[in-house]
Amino acid sequence: MDVKLVDIGKKYEGRSEYTLRNINLEIKDKDFCVILGPSGCGKSTLLRMIAGLNSITEGDLYFGDRRMNTVPPKDRDIAMVFQSYALYPHMSVYDNLAFSLSMKKENPKIINERVLEAAKVLQIEDYLQSKPSEISGGQRQRVALGRAMVRKPKVFLMDEPLSNLDAKLREHMRVELVRLHHSLDTTSIYVTHDQTEAMTMASKIILLDDGIIQQDGPPEEFYNQPANLFVATFIGSPTMNLFAGKMKDGVFISNDGDIRITPTPEDAKVLLAYQDKDVTVGIRSERFISGGELGDTFNAYVEVVEMLGKEKLLYGKLPKGQNITISVPGHFEYRPGETHSFGYDVEAIHYFDSSTTNRIV
Amino acid sequence: MNQTAKKPKKRLFGRKDKSDVYLSDRPPLSTAGIIGLIITYVLLISWAVVVIWPLFQMVKSAFNETQFQYITSGQRFEFGLKHFKALFEETNYLKWVWNTIWIALVTMGLTVLFVSFTGYAYSRFRFRGKKFSLMGLMLIQTIPTFVGITAYYAMHQIISGPVPFFTRQMMLVLIYAGGGIAGNTFILKNYMDSVSTDLDDAAKIDGCSYMQTYRLIIMPIVRPMLAIIALWSFMAPFTDVLLPTVLLTKNQDLTLAAGLRTLISDMRTLNQPAYAAGGLLIAVPIVVMFMLLQKQLIGGLASGSVKG
Repeated sequence: MDVKLVDIGKKYEGRSEYTLRNINLEIKDKDFCVILGPSGCGKSTLLRMIAGLNSITEGDLYFGDRRMNTVPPKDRDIAMVFQSYALYPHMSVYDNLAFSLSMKKENPKIINERVLEAAKVLQIEDYLQSKPSEISGGQRQRVALGRAMVRKPKVFLMDEPLSNLDAKLREHMRVELVRLHHSLDTTSIYVTHDQTEAMTMASKIILLDDGIIQQDGPPEEFYNQPANLFVATFIGSPTMNLFAGKMKDGVFISNDGDIRITPTPEDAKVLLAYQDKDVTVGIRSERFISGGELGDTFNAYVEVVEMLGKEKLLYGKLPKGQNITISVPGHFEYRPGETHSFGYDVEAIHYFDSSTTNRIV
Repeated sequence: MNQTAKKPKKRLFGRKDKSDVYLSDRPPLSTAGIIGLIITYVLLISWAVVVIWPLFQMVKSAFNETQFQYITSGQRFEFGLKHFKALFEETNYLKWVWNTIWIALVTMGLTVLFVSFTGYAYSRFRFRGKKFSLMGLMLIQTIPTFVGITAYYAMHQIISGPVPFFTRQMMLVLIYAGGGIAGNTFILKNYMDSVSTDLDDAAKIDGCSYMQTYRLIIMPIVRPMLAIIALWSFMAPFTDVLLPTVLLTKNQDLTLAAGLRTLISDMRTLNQPAYAAGGLLIAVPIVVMFMLLQKQLIGGLASGSVKG
């Protein structure tokens, strides 16, 4: 089902400021939409408004063509997975799964069928009679998912469901969740502060900060064309390298003079308007060229080397002292204490207007 | 190889292991530690004697046939149930038991019912005056119930006018239940605060009304605390002497504590061994209630956390 938010705003009781305002959003049917943002940006509030757990102060929420603002949660045809799983501790796994359907006074035979079906998909058949406290974290997570599955919801809401799992299990569940999303054939809305989860799972990302949507679109767009400096630094690990400087005679020169970059002809055309203005350049760690000799180059002193296997992360310093992070393939030989020359992949350089922080090109 | 195994040492209060490997997680006792331990035991034992001795005397004199009106020590002991017989035949003991039990049960029911609502409301809802009224509840607790005794008279007069069947005993129930609600609301609210509100949200999405959320989800989780509150409010009428003595005038209307008091305070009805016997029997309904609630007390603890 399509989910549409029109000019949504939320102000909590007893607060003078709006937590969220003027949120406009369209989530297409069968999208896996991830709402991403640092803690306290209002992403959970947004999800809770969609779920109907928090009231909507202003604006309209549509599921398909139906306005949902005042529809109680149980009638919205949604299911939600909570960060704490929110399993009912006094009920067995089976009863947890069956609870929502039995509240709907569904036929016991159908309830049984659906519960067993969900349990089979999630491989929790052996624990149906256990209490939530008797099973492991990963199994509880599955029960929480199962509880949402049995409802066959039109919209599947998840509030940081993976943050209580250990790293290995989280990686595994990421894939499982996407699989589940495809098999359920629903619209999923997933809230997280983890950009890796967003990048790997989403078909559409919404990056929130300060109650404002910073950018929305598919993951590649976020990585390759960040809309502003916030998005640029939030997405991607290690964080994008940023250099503040000026455009002089069509060449970017950083404030300390260590970095000189000649833009590609296409970029240069757009940058013409920024002659002698403050511009910030962003370049991802993997877009440096080792041992650069041609074109623009710079020297960096390598302080720390992190060996990650398939790649090495070099934490270095430029001659005037600015920090830089460069990643190189794992088999390249770099040692701390050495100074090396690097070039740029000029195709992959992002230019931002320093005063507005928005992307130029 | 193993140092402790070489030289077996005898330890105070220690059991001898076959291999005598030191298994305790605590460091071995030093001399000062042993002395400290002895002092601790002496203190604890004398404390226990202070508590147990009167109880023992009570049990002894309750079954001692050689005791008469007054309990005297140094008497010969002759086992018999004479005093229990006297209690049942010469006093209104059974009436008192009945009075106390129904008062206790109704008090318990009312307290648990009201505290459930107030505790849930204070824990889960935001409303005007929440902080203020909660503070008020705490302050009310600091004032002992009996200071309102004249007001209780007046209240009873007012209510029994239009409602003639409103007896003094019912008034007593209201006082007990009302007094219990204030403090227990606070306790239950704090206990409920530790239950994640995610559960409420999940229940709401699953289609529960507020009432259903409480009945199906929250109440089973806070059951241990409810059981404790139930037990406390059940016990209150058994131990209170003052209010029934003042409010209830007829001997057959009295509760156990007040009724038994007439056996030691009134020269006409004085019978101290029977008092001891009656006191002994008070334990029976309380123990029964405890046993009924025991499963609830422990059951909830096992299914505590929901987090991973």
